[in-house]
Amino acid sequence: MDQTRLEKFIAYLQKSDWSIFGPVFTTAKIEELSPFLAAHQPSPIKKTGQILIKKISKAIELNLDGQLPFYSFKRFFIPEQETLFEYQKNKVIAKKQASKIALIGLNILDLRAVNLYDQVFEKDAYYQTRRRNMLLVGYSLTPETASNIFEHQYEEDILEHLPFDIFLACYNAPRKGAWPPRGFTPSPRSLRGSPPKAELSSGLNLRGGLGELKVFSGSIKGQRILEHFGYQTKLGSSRAERGYKDYTHIQFSGPVKEGQLDERMARLRDRLKNHPNPKIWEELGKICIECGKCTLVCPTCFCFRIDDLPALAESSGARQRCWDSCYYQEFSEVSGSEKPGLGKPKFLSTTAERLHFWYYHKFARIPDEFNFMGCVGCGRCAKVCPVGIDIGEVLKKIENS
Amino acid sequence: MFNPYEHHQAKIIFISRQTDNIKLFRFEFTRPIPGWKFSYKPGQFVELSLPNFGESPFAPCGDARKNYLELCVRKTGKLTAQLHQMRIGDKVGLRGAYGNGVWPLAKYDFKTQKNLLIVAGGLGFVPLRSLILDKNNWLGQETKVQIFYGARQPNEMLFRHEYEQWKKQNIQVELTVDRECSGWKGNVGLVPTLFDKHEVWQNSIAFICGPPVMYRPILDKLKKLGFVDEDIYLSLERRMHCGFGVCQHCAVGSYYTCKDGPIFSWAQLKDIPGAI
Repeated sequence: MDQTRLEKFIAYLQKSDWSIFGPVFTTAKIEELSPFLAAHQPSPIKKTGQILIKKISKAIELNLDGQLPFYSFKRFFIPEQETLFEYQKNKVIAKKQASKIALIGLNILDLRAVNLYDQVFEKDAYYQTRRRNMLLVGYSLTPETASNIFEHQYEEDILEHLPFDIFLACYNAPRKGAWPPRGFTPSPRSLRGSPPKAELSSGLNLRGGLGELKVFSGSIKGQRILEHFGYQTKLGSSRAERGYKDYTHIQFSGPVKEGQLDERMARLRDRLKNHPNPKIWEELGKICIECGKCTLVCPTCFCFRIDDLPALAESSGARQRCWDSCYYQEFSEVSGSEKPGLGKPKFLSTTAERLHFWYYHKFARIPDEFNFMGCVGCGRCAKVCPVGIDIGEVLKKIENS
Repeated sequence: MFNPYEHHQAKIIFISRQTDNIKLFRFEFTRPIPGWKFSYKPGQFVELSLPNFGESPFAPCGDARKNYLELCVRKTGKLTAQLHQMRIGDKVGLRGAYGNGVWPLAKYDFKTQKNLLIVAGGLGFVPLRSLILDKNNWLGQETKVQIFYGARQPNEMLFRHEYEQWKKQNIQVELTVDRECSGWKGNVGLVPTLFDKHEVWQNSIAFICGPPVMYRPILDKLKKLGFVDEDIYLSLERRMHCGFGVCQHCAVGSYYTCKDGPIFSWAQLKDIPGAI
């Protein structure tokens, strides 16, 4: 697939009633996104803009250079607020939902987060309805190390462990000077036995033209759309050639590579479970201000609370589910009378305990439940932390404790 | 697809006041879905829903074999205050039951060996009443049951009119109140003091439920008596929203109180900081 084809493909999706979202370069500065953050953590590099996930109408608006969007794709999967149902007195009114949403340009870190949502919300009717109406188009370029602390790289043999419908792998020759090569390392396996590949890709920038993309399907939905796209846009001259055929199917085989234990995961879990070091949390507890920003931008933070939103008519309103944060005091409150100076009775009563809860969830509880880490290593939490807590540093402390 | 957040409508069919701020409510499902039957095991809990007041978890306290559900509720927040204002015939939503309940009992052979010690404080008696009422289903005929129960004062003792009947069924009931009260001739002191006055049956397992402050001293007493960690069970209290292990509010170490609990063995919890 080349740029012309990709443009046609996006036009085709739009015609087929998909709302398309993807990473877009915007002039929104960090000051506009978070004045608080700009004031508290002056960045040494003056940023002219940010990558945000926005609705697009043309392929050219996409920014597919592997840079991490400021916010993750989380809200498309788990909205910050959603109505579970409405009620009038004791009558419950189910809510219709879900429009067709196509997400273009999820990198492998974003897709790893989707693996977690798929597991956690496996039995969630609202999530599943939404997910059925989504099209995930992955992309092979990965962010630089600062935004990729586990240094996840694209290799063809990881595709079977990622949840996508369509995946675009960048195989084009670097355009000199335009983009420093990054994010793509061919695995020995993907090189072996295959015809000599073009040079490593350095990035697809639709605004500046691009080379060839290798296309994979990862679901029946992806296959159907690719084939149908071919017929609709009449790519070939004869009828037989019209279907889009230039893709390879990858059968999803679960989020975890069989028989291969993630060593970093095992080490962190062991430290947290068997060798707890309260000092780490006590020290961090002295600087953390419990603002919860890390939990908002984190692609794998999915905690929620359930609230009722009353309407004007008697006993009517909506039951809602919205994002919560384990850094907030109310998160762990239980019933009982307030104590002077301490508020309501609660578990996780100190900042240190709450910090530990956050890390323990990602690096011990999720690994216990699903056998993979509850952190994709995007470093978004470090970027928004007003007091400069860097997850990479904390993980090193845990490992060396 | 089954939606776990949808509740079933139930109406209040009976209310009895237990103490100044605790009432027992009896509910009956109004529109039973064909093929669906509500059931629970002692120790599990349900989510009760009131429009505009949200949901709260409560452990049933009644006889699980009956076709109604009993909840014993203290007026402590907005939802419970609203519930306390409600009358017979008023409707609520219920979903559940959640949690493991008394599953650990399945691993014991009560016919030959084990006896049961129940240690409860205040409202912690609630889920254990279900077990007592359905005793023969969960325990053996020969199983000796002891109850150590404490409340702040005599008129705060839950289900106090039923003790005499329980005693007739070979259940030993030992009571204590926190402070001296006129007219009270029994033990005075916190629940652990009962261990100094009464002998615990040999070969027992222990179930503890009550305010978290009482867990440590009771565990000390049980350990001194030679109880192994695997034979001590505690019911944990946590904030709960979803009820089935997703929302994260009730996580304790790698467990969820709502899904893996609320009843845990001490062996499961002893190495988790902040568990009790």
